[in-house]
Amino acid sequence: MQHIPLSIAKYIRSLWMSELILTFFHVNKQGILVEWGGHPRHYGLPTPITGQSASEQISFLEGAIPAEHTQILEFVGVGNEKVAHVHLIPFENGTWILLFDASAEHDRQQQIQQQYNELSVQSYRQTQLLQGLETARQQLEIEKIKLEQSAQTKSRFIASLSHELRAPLTSIVGYTHLLDEAEKAEEQESSYLNSVKQNAGYLLNLIDNVLEQTRSETQQVTIHPINCKIKNTLEDLKSLFFPMAKEKQLDFKLESAAEIPEQLLLDELRLRQVLINLMSNALKFTEHGFVSLSLSWQANRLSFQVEDTGPGISKEGQAKIFDAFHREKSTQHVQGVGLGLAISRQLIELMDGELRLESELGKGSLFSADIYAPAGQNTSQILSSSPTTLLDSADNSRYTILLAEDNLGIRTLLKLYLDEGGYQVLLAENGEQAVQIALQHQPHAILMDLQMPILDGFAATYELRQQGFTAPIIALSASALSQDRQEALQAGCSLYLMKPLDAEYLWLNLHNILNPSAD
Amino acid sequence: MIQKKICMIGDFSVGKTCTVARFVRQTFSDKYLTTVGVKIDTKILQWPNDAEVKLILWDIAGNDKLTTASTSYLRGAAGYLLVVDGTRLPTWESAKRLHTEVTRQIGDKPFLVLLNKADLKEQWEIKQADVDPQLKQGWKMLKTSAKTGENVEKAFEVLGRMLIG
Repeated sequence: MQHIPLSIAKYIRSLWMSELILTFFHVNKQGILVEWGGHPRHYGLPTPITGQSASEQISFLEGAIPAEHTQILEFVGVGNEKVAHVHLIPFENGTWILLFDASAEHDRQQQIQQQYNELSVQSYRQTQLLQGLETARQQLEIEKIKLEQSAQTKSRFIASLSHELRAPLTSIVGYTHLLDEAEKAEEQESSYLNSVKQNAGYLLNLIDNVLEQTRSETQQVTIHPINCKIKNTLEDLKSLFFPMAKEKQLDFKLESAAEIPEQLLLDELRLRQVLINLMSNALKFTEHGFVSLSLSWQANRLSFQVEDTGPGISKEGQAKIFDAFHREKSTQHVQGVGLGLAISRQLIELMDGELRLESELGKGSLFSADIYAPAGQNTSQILSSSPTTLLDSADNSRYTILLAEDNLGIRTLLKLYLDEGGYQVLLAENGEQAVQIALQHQPHAILMDLQMPILDGFAATYELRQQGFTAPIIALSASALSQDRQEALQAGCSLYLMKPLDAEYLWLNLHNILNPSAD
Repeated sequence: MIQKKICMIGDFSVGKTCTVARFVRQTFSDKYLTTVGVKIDTKILQWPNDAEVKLILWDIAGNDKLTTASTSYLRGAAGYLLVVDGTRLPTWESAKRLHTEVTRQIGDKPFLVLLNKADLKEQWEIKQADVDPQLKQGWKMLKTSAKTGENVEKAFEVLGRMLIG
């Protein structure tokens, strides 16, 4: 240390770094190394030779000398050796270069910086990944919306096609029924009519199923539980299926457990739809043995089982049996499009249940489910299964019904129903006429077709309500879309009935709406 | 012998240290080890006329901007390599900013942009459209890979020629 000028020594002491391994170089203003001291090799430097170019021996001095003012280069590493803080100090026409060991501090900082940098890169990658995922999610969302729109368009198309098919079928079914009832019908004519009726019935059922499937795809199906007598439902099913079972010489069993309450709160129409589906399938495919339906009730849940000794369903078939439009190869000779079970399963799910299947090829099938059905109350707003018994055509003559329907065939048919029911009938061919006649004659109720020329049923109903007409207006429509039902009710309709209507159903609804206090 | 000080400049983890290791020692490690301060290496290039050029490489700790410490390392630099990680677009933004700051500190010096990590081309975020404006301004660029050695030697040669002619 004796070669170091006093001022430099003071500088060193001021830094309190004397315990560090000090190395120094003194370079004159020509860049020649004048003297050196300490441990250059400690920092990976060669042993310097005085009198020669400093920067050629100590590479980091290239461009750094002569120093114009005191400068500190922090953490300078040469090769893989120790790291130094390098101080460049101008003094007496030259530069003093001091190296202080900073390896320990370097390692500490490196550790911290390493963690920070790694985290930053990791965070950046994660952000990019999340952005990528978000972009993918957005694209999928767009695709999903497109697919939903496409599905809705398809469903809307099917719904309107079904609507168009329903309207003429209303006439076919109605007139066939009337002709069949006529006493003068010859035996052969009656047979022909029976065939027309059966096929029209099949078509109607098919359209109903397609519509139901469409509604479930657009999530329009809802469940409306009401008080109902399940035993009446069973009786109806018995009347419906017993003749077919008898014809096929099948043992036909209907069983209901004693613990079932007289009244249950459930959507009887939907349950009936499911049971009809399952029972008609069982009867259709079973050639020998039996078909049975059994009901039981426990803890607010109604269980049912439909069992048959039919051909059974293969394991592969069981996996797809509830898919829409699926049909077993072995049953393709039988009429149907494969919607019944898909619809049934959806309806059971809406009733908080699950439709299950156990089946074995050659032995038969068992469909079962249990649905939420708490015991009902004895409010007697339940539709009787024999509505005609409620009606007395002589009493109905005091009621005038305005029938607004543009389709001549349906208008004539409905007028026949109303005449048969004993009602006084006024006719209108469009909404405008309907408004005029209703305001002039003040009928007790209006049957209002919704799709009519000049003024449609929605607008005519709205107009009448605006004019103060308060009697019931019953909307008639072939549309099963809940949106149409909603719009009709919003326009002022009291009830929404779907075509085709049979006479009894029409009478029942007229009776109920004209006699609101009647059971 | 001619000596030239060259600085390696760029954001952290773009591959400056790996590029120097590939050039000086023909080695590469996948393990990332951050640089603190500056690491100095040298390599002698043989020029066609048998002249030798000693490149003194200052591998400066990466950052998205110049710090006081890194500014002190720039003094006396003859030129620099501006290193960018092709898989991280923000490192290109850092490079453009660093170029402006370096120019402000040491004036216009020869430099070359290294678009590094060419071995990870499928992950690149930097597209041609991103660099086109700078190419039009006359910036020189090379796609390099310290991992495979692609264009590393060439990068130093090109910069060497820019310094010596």
